[in-house]
Amino acid sequence: MHEISLTVNGQVERATVAAGMTLLELLRDRLHLTGTKEGCGIGECGACTVLLDGLPVTACLVLAVETDGCDVRTIEGEATAGRLSALQQAFIDAGAIQCGFCTPGMVMSARALLERNPNPSDEEIVEAIAGNLCRCTGYEAILHAVRLAAGRLQGREASDGGRLLARDGEANSAPDRGEGGGR
Amino acid sequence: MLGGFDYVHPRSTEDACRLLAETADARILAGGTDLLVEIRNGLRAPSLLVDVKRIDELACLDTDGTEWIVGATVPLNVLAERRAIRDALPALADAAVSIGTYQLRNRATLAGNLCNASPAADSAPVLLAIGASVSVAGPGGRRTVPISELFAGAKRTCLEPGEIVTDVRIPARPDGMRCAFLKQQRIRGHDLAVVNVAGAYHPETKRLHIAIGSCAPTPILLEPIEATGSAAAVADLGIGLAEAATSPISDVRASADYRRAVLPILLRRLIGRLLDGGGP
Amino acid sequence: MSGELRYVGKPVARDDAVDKVTGAARYTHDLAIPGMLHAAMVTSPHASARIVRIEPSAAEALPGVRAVLTGETLDYRVGLYMVDKRILARDVVRYQGEPVVAVAADTLDIAREACRLVEIDYEPLEPVLDPRDALQDGSPLVHPDLGSYEHMKGVFFPEAGTNVAHHQKVRKGDFDAAFAAADVTLTASFYNPPVQHVAMETHATIVQTLPADRAEIWTSSQAPYTVRHLMSVCFGLPHASLRVHVPYVGGGFGGKAGVHLEPLAFVLSKAAGGRPVKIVATREEEFNTIPSRQGLHSTVEIGAKRDGTIVALKATYVWDAGAYADYGVNVGRAAAYSGGGPYVLPNCWIDSYVVYTNKIFGTAYRGFGHLEVLCGIERAIDQMARKLDMDPVEFRRVNLLREGETTITGEPFTMGHGSPVACLDAAAEAIDWGTPSSPPEQASKVRGKGIAMLHKAPAMPTYTSCAVVIKLDEDGAADVLVSGVDYGQGTYTVLKQIAAEELKLSIDKVHVTWDCDTAFSPYDWQTVASRFAYMGGNAVIEAAADCLRQIRGVAGQAFDVAPARIACEDGVAFVDGDPGRRIPYEQLALGYTFENGNSIGGPVIGHGRYIATGLTHLDPQTGQGLPAQYWTYGAHAVEIEVDTETGEIEVLDIATAIDAGKVLNPKLCIGQVVGGVIQGLGSALWEEFRFDERGRFLNPAFVDYKIPTAKDLPRRMQQALLEYPQPDGPYGARGVAEHPMISVPSAIGNALFDALGIEFTTLPLNYERILRRIREAQEGNEVA
Repeated sequence: MHEISLTVNGQVERATVAAGMTLLELLRDRLHLTGTKEGCGIGECGACTVLLDGLPVTACLVLAVETDGCDVRTIEGEATAGRLSALQQAFIDAGAIQCGFCTPGMVMSARALLERNPNPSDEEIVEAIAGNLCRCTGYEAILHAVRLAAGRLQGREASDGGRLLARDGEANSAPDRGEGGGR
Repeated sequence: MLGGFDYVHPRSTEDACRLLAETADARILAGGTDLLVEIRNGLRAPSLLVDVKRIDELACLDTDGTEWIVGATVPLNVLAERRAIRDALPALADAAVSIGTYQLRNRATLAGNLCNASPAADSAPVLLAIGASVSVAGPGGRRTVPISELFAGAKRTCLEPGEIVTDVRIPARPDGMRCAFLKQQRIRGHDLAVVNVAGAYHPETKRLHIAIGSCAPTPILLEPIEATGSAAAVADLGIGLAEAATSPISDVRASADYRRAVLPILLRRLIGRLLDGGGP
Repeated sequence: MSGELRYVGKPVARDDAVDKVTGAARYTHDLAIPGMLHAAMVTSPHASARIVRIEPSAAEALPGVRAVLTGETLDYRVGLYMVDKRILARDVVRYQGEPVVAVAADTLDIAREACRLVEIDYEPLEPVLDPRDALQDGSPLVHPDLGSYEHMKGVFFPEAGTNVAHHQKVRKGDFDAAFAAADVTLTASFYNPPVQHVAMETHATIVQTLPADRAEIWTSSQAPYTVRHLMSVCFGLPHASLRVHVPYVGGGFGGKAGVHLEPLAFVLSKAAGGRPVKIVATREEEFNTIPSRQGLHSTVEIGAKRDGTIVALKATYVWDAGAYADYGVNVGRAAAYSGGGPYVLPNCWIDSYVVYTNKIFGTAYRGFGHLEVLCGIERAIDQMARKLDMDPVEFRRVNLLREGETTITGEPFTMGHGSPVACLDAAAEAIDWGTPSSPPEQASKVRGKGIAMLHKAPAMPTYTSCAVVIKLDEDGAADVLVSGVDYGQGTYTVLKQIAAEELKLSIDKVHVTWDCDTAFSPYDWQTVASRFAYMGGNAVIEAAADCLRQIRGVAGQAFDVAPARIACEDGVAFVDGDPGRRIPYEQLALGYTFENGNSIGGPVIGHGRYIATGLTHLDPQTGQGLPAQYWTYGAHAVEIEVDTETGEIEVLDIATAIDAGKVLNPKLCIGQVVGGVIQGLGSALWEEFRFDERGRFLNPAFVDYKIPTAKDLPRRMQQALLEYPQPDGPYGARGVAEHPMISVPSAIGNALFDALGIEFTTLPLNYERILRRIREAQEGNEVA
């Protein structure tokens, strides 16, 4: 057994763990932070994405013992003082959440992106979340949410001009990739 | 729980080698993105993992002008995002970012990709074509192994028990060398290679080095080609050599027929880009 | 409904989004009950085998193991339409991946270790893997005792002594005569492999058996009442003794519509002395053990007149049901009554066979057979158009169903069905049909355009129903109780909008209670078939009316006027024309108290329900009858680009037109459409189950079962949501949930012909298949 000490969402956590325990198991089973999900267990789906020393990793392929002395951030740490982050609010506003199971991993990947690159191009956004599988949304609204968050954090609106800001209830379609279809 | 193994994190290469030698089925843990999956899936059951990420000498990423030294624990994203690597060896950066997902590349390493020794290893063709080598430390001391001698068979390297790769050494773009990497996948999203190829062209000597992955039990380096003549003619030559040197199989990813069909296409595009396309 | 709508039709955001985006939402994966055990399964390595011997003693002896079960001791069978499945295999295994032994232990690691210690001897038998082989005389029988199985009589007709679980027929007119007399005919065959839903949350369930033959169940399910009912039947327990909770669900797509791991968790809990038992499918088990979408071999024959009128259509569908055919028989049935496509077909014969094989079995999947059927029909339609030298859009326009015509089961087509033609036109216009694609940038690439229609009605029993309860809180807010499940589609938000609209209440004061609990939430059949917004919406309207009736009654009494003179607006009941005499809902919600203390009324609780109306059984010989509550029509149009040297295909543009009747929430509706299109793209280009020659599953993980990522999106996606009202739908809405994926593969198949002149008849249309056909065509040309 190994004694480890790590920071999780700003709090110091101490644990005694077997070498074979993954960070995902530590978070979910030991620390009861169930926001981080298991989708495949082999690092292919991104549902378990957390930030390890600021870098997005799949927690299913990190051993708890490897995180001794490290800083871990999960979805539970994204909102602060009871307020949603701009990124979380953008996900809501953009309609980027359906069943929600991929959402924590998506938000963490996007969070890491915006921290290393506050003004990402569309291609950079795609690259950042391409390791997060989603079966419900078709990704478009998620890409839009990240664009929107980046824009808001930079003090400007997203450049698409319309879909998620539909005040008039019109059924609009995809921005940025060409004109929409409308009704 | 992934398994019943124990875990150590030595602070020196010598300690790591000693630990490996003491426990016959011990495995090195760097990124862990291959190893931990194998353990989870029951393909390996080591009793000890030797985490080498606390060993300072394995973390360097530097050049002395003649060669790049990529330490064994340098994550692929760090490698790919180093501006100087992007400029000097764009094919290496391309190969690195073609591996897995962004999350995976924050853990996985170049050395790990090589030592896993998959015939489809995406780092192998570029490193073969450029003439890279690995530094190895072991019970018998230190040695250098050209990548062309590293692969002993599918998922097997030539490393002896107790040996570990400490870094990958890559010639730092001598004589205006141009390199390129192409990978055929089944989907644009993250995928293993169906076929992957890389080439390094030295304009001053007109020597062209081509390496091919996923078409034989190991990545294959072709014999050097004198690239005189048109790109098309050189491609014909290269394709002929490639077909003689490779033996693609059918597996769940692709049929041998598809690999045989795509290999010449990639080679032609690769050679065209290197000889005509310009750029590094 | 007159006047401007306040909430219905608006892009109202989801309430559940906050829980999901903060990680607070708890799915069955996340739940833990005190004393809970964890379960693991041993599954069959063989596609067909006799179980010779199971030796569990080493597993039983492992410390921490609380129960080890085999099929021998479990005298139960499970099934909704066809009761053909045991909880654990008994005597024989019928597919590689079938659960044989289950262990419940203190930890998952112990349970898995125990599974490794179980010794099992099998005698492998010859599997039958292709349903066409399974139809031949002399084929191994997957269910030799088929004749003795319980099943829904009068609706499904298993053929004893064969591998045919069900055969559904449609006989309209005289196909043979009309085909023989047609000017132009064609025959074409197609194949769809099995695929998986790939919800991001795998199947998970917790069951705790309680004293006096009761149980409490938490499960990731689309249908709490179906779970309850099937377990009630299976275990011979009254419904009330089983309580089912459904928390947040991480996707379903039909895969969580029936009963899956729940009965196994139940028997494990019982064997473990009533400890709660949790089973979570690994991703590999999700692919290899949990059911799939059936594969389909189809043959389509069409006869037409020179003027472009179809006179005869015959389709033969051979469904690869896999080892168990419970849901499969219903898919087979739906495929028959829908199986000619949305066209006027004066002579139409359909034969839909649901056939057992020794492979992972099929269940409901978004589209319920319609994607697979239309892969054949819409491709054959295109082929016939070309044979007639007609534009594929024109050919469809000539033959699409319209007012005055009837469907192949004799249902009259009315204006209330919506407008297939408008969908066709919208999709065609969106991709500039008739204008050739601009030339690709690379010489090795070619482009093409394709179009395909889609249609679907909810495939549901004639008695399908839904109930809703609305109760007011002390502060005049309204709680809406349903047991349809929102597993991502957003239906709860839509129901909230409808409730707020109908109750004349601010939407901030309307809540749809998230978790379903069969102890409290009123009945809903299943959340499948694109029926929940329609039926739930109608039930909400009725429940709201019931609440308003109670509110008006009490307010009327309070003001001594007839209830009809009470109006309601913005959470206030007032005397019409005299708004000074007003009572806010919060003062009525639990009854109204006069100044002197006398109280009238009581807690306001409204009840609404909706039952499918006008549906009839289908004649077993002719398929004639009324199976459809409503039809939703649509069309997909695509422009693709193919690299002729590598077979790589990219979708440049995909337009989806769907006649929604009324778009209840445009943001959610678009979300469904985009998500469905991408899921359809997965079926079209990459997804398939691979088996070896012994029937073993080869790709049960994301490494080799590829679903679209953010890098795989079409360059452009367009949506056109049409609104030709559904007369009996809530605000004119009809269901749209499944439809966005249905004809994506057929449209792409048609576009590939346009681009390459090659008929693709097998999915997926992956790079390797495309290149192989290109090469074959080139070699054919050279030889010729």
